[in-house]
Amino acid sequence: MKGPRLERSVGLVLAVGSAVSVGLLTLGIVAMGASHIGPLDRPFPRFDPGRIPAELAASEPAGFLWLGLLAVILTPSVRVAASFLGFAASGERRMAAVALVVLAIICLSAILGAGG
Amino acid sequence: MAELLLLIAGGSAAGAFGALLGLGGGVLIVPLLTLGFGLPLREAIGASLVCVIVTSSAAASVYLQRDVANLRLGMTFEMFTALAALAGGLVAFALPDRALALMFAALLLYVAVTMARGRGPELAVKPTSKDAESRAPAPDEGAPGDGLAASLSGPGYRVRNLGRGVLGSLVAGVVSALFGVGGGIVKVPLMNLAMGVPLRVATATSNLMIGVTASAGGLIYLLRGGIDPYVAAPLAVGVFAGASLASRVADRVDLRLLRILFVAMLVVTASQMASKGLP
Repeated sequence: MKGPRLERSVGLVLAVGSAVSVGLLTLGIVAMGASHIGPLDRPFPRFDPGRIPAELAASEPAGFLWLGLLAVILTPSVRVAASFLGFAASGERRMAAVALVVLAIICLSAILGAGG
Repeated sequence: MAELLLLIAGGSAAGAFGALLGLGGGVLIVPLLTLGFGLPLREAIGASLVCVIVTSSAAASVYLQRDVANLRLGMTFEMFTALAALAGGLVAFALPDRALALMFAALLLYVAVTMARGRGPELAVKPTSKDAESRAPAPDEGAPGDGLAASLSGPGYRVRNLGRGVLGSLVAGVVSALFGVGGGIVKVPLMNLAMGVPLRVATATSNLMIGVTASAGGLIYLLRGGIDPYVAAPLAVGVFAGASLASRVADRVDLRLLRILFVAMLVVTASQMASKGLP
């Protein structure tokens, strides 16, 4: 995959990621309204990925909100991963390596963030 | 319920302003949340980073599909913006709130001065197929060769001064994670003026890079409890709606007047932020 085709495929990844993220966040906001939760209510729920499936099953706002926020934050990483696949498939080794470095830095962010 | 609607409306306004003026909206969102809603600065920055990623992903998808953004150049610089954002995110949690507020006030003044001088990111919300057209290469640019700069160049322009680009990317990355902004105010003028990248390509490429940069910082905020989902979600949806709407009416808006209003608003906001930082 070379040239504009790669750009368009990567652009499509971002478009889908944006749509999914905004859709999930909107569901979460509707659930907030239905549960009479105000945006300034304290304490706000802490991020715990292990609880998301149960919160989703119970239609709790936090489940949709956290999943939507995760989709927002991870969409650029998925774009980088898609770019890596595209560059690797087209034999652009230098750019494939660049994509891997970017992914490694994002992983490092997650590790250092979780360690704090 | 009223607070929820106010947040969505505030996000829409910030998204529209940001899209019309070529900014991510972060410089408006953080003051909106801290001064308008009384949120702690770090939570405001975390929510702003989420909004910045949303606008970046939505805008960059269009730019990439229309061949305006330079994917290779953007990804090369992302190595440095992401690394710096990682450092910036860690520093943000170590700094006292007052210092962060004062630094944010300084950033607002910098943006105000840059916008007043007309050197900020330009309007580029409606890219067309013409955006990817060639411009005549400058005499010193020569024909593309086999080097790194050549491989990162685009149709009709050759990238130069890669070292400055790396330095600017590091600054933009730290600024993004420290203050919850995209950093386009640093990257766009740098790519355009110092590196020879056409303005629309520079704006589009900066937009692309913002997503990864803010994502690296955003992960730290998310995992350290710096993102409030009840605030970030309505704000992000509002920003998305505002930015999408603004891109449709951009042609009918008097940008000069908007720019003057924006600069005035930034100066007032900077003074209020500074007062939060002073003892």
